[in-house]
Amino acid sequence: MSATGRGAAAQSATADREIVISRVIDAPRELVFEAFTEVRHLSRWWGPEGFTTTTQSFEFRVGGEWDFVMHGPDGTDYPEWITWTEITPPERIALLHGESRDDPNAFESVLTFEPDGAATRIEMRTVFPSKELRDEAVEKYHAIEGGQQTLSNLAAYVTELLRKGAES
Amino acid sequence: MAAMARAATTSDAFNAIAEPQRRNILALLRAGERPVTDLAEELGMSQPRASKHLRVLREVGLVRDRKAGKQRLYGLDARGLRPVHEWTGGFERFWNESFDRLDAYVQDLKQAGQEE
Repeated sequence: MSATGRGAAAQSATADREIVISRVIDAPRELVFEAFTEVRHLSRWWGPEGFTTTTQSFEFRVGGEWDFVMHGPDGTDYPEWITWTEITPPERIALLHGESRDDPNAFESVLTFEPDGAATRIEMRTVFPSKELRDEAVEKYHAIEGGQQTLSNLAAYVTELLRKGAES
Repeated sequence: MAAMARAATTSDAFNAIAEPQRRNILALLRAGERPVTDLAEELGMSQPRASKHLRVLREVGLVRDRKAGKQRLYGLDARGLRPVHEWTGGFERFWNESFDRLDAYVQDLKQAGQEE
């Protein structure tokens, strides 16, 4: 615990139950934001390589829902449900993400879009209700991607390494 | 002081495994514990060089060592790999790969917009 948590010591009070991912995309902010607003866009990029989605309903507004199934490359289906809690074009989207409307473990992600020269920096900050749920999500998404071959060599390698290490 | 400066650049697992030779060492240790002489020979490096890499890996908690008779055996320490595992796998990898696709898709949109 102390060894793995050291790097996050100076972070916010939620540091042990949040995950922050950021990325610079070489495109104007309006365009990047737009890719989050319509299902015809989202279905083109949501999920890792090899994943597809089937949408049951989609209504991009505060309180609206996106009800869909994500299909893994190995044929496994994952029910997904999203509702938006804040939409401020082209700056910010907050959403609640779970497996269904009644999912008690749904978690909130806040996406911010900031201009970075001619490019756009996206930051996705996800705060889980507890550290346990954060760890659970990490494991769940491990499982989702378990069959994937598109991962970087490093990822495959480290996962294997960890498994071997745990056995010894 | 020299030791401190070195520690600062390799103080976490991510920095430590950025070095290809250190990844090679970790790969060899997957099969089980090995003495430094074995590792050095297998990787075609000098023993002091291998020892230096092992020290870095041990400092960040990726490798542990123990005495076995006259030898010192090095093995993987899974605890140190956990942050790397979390980063490269699961939720974050899901999103990093999604953002890869988003990036490619938005480039298409951008180009389509310019051609209109």
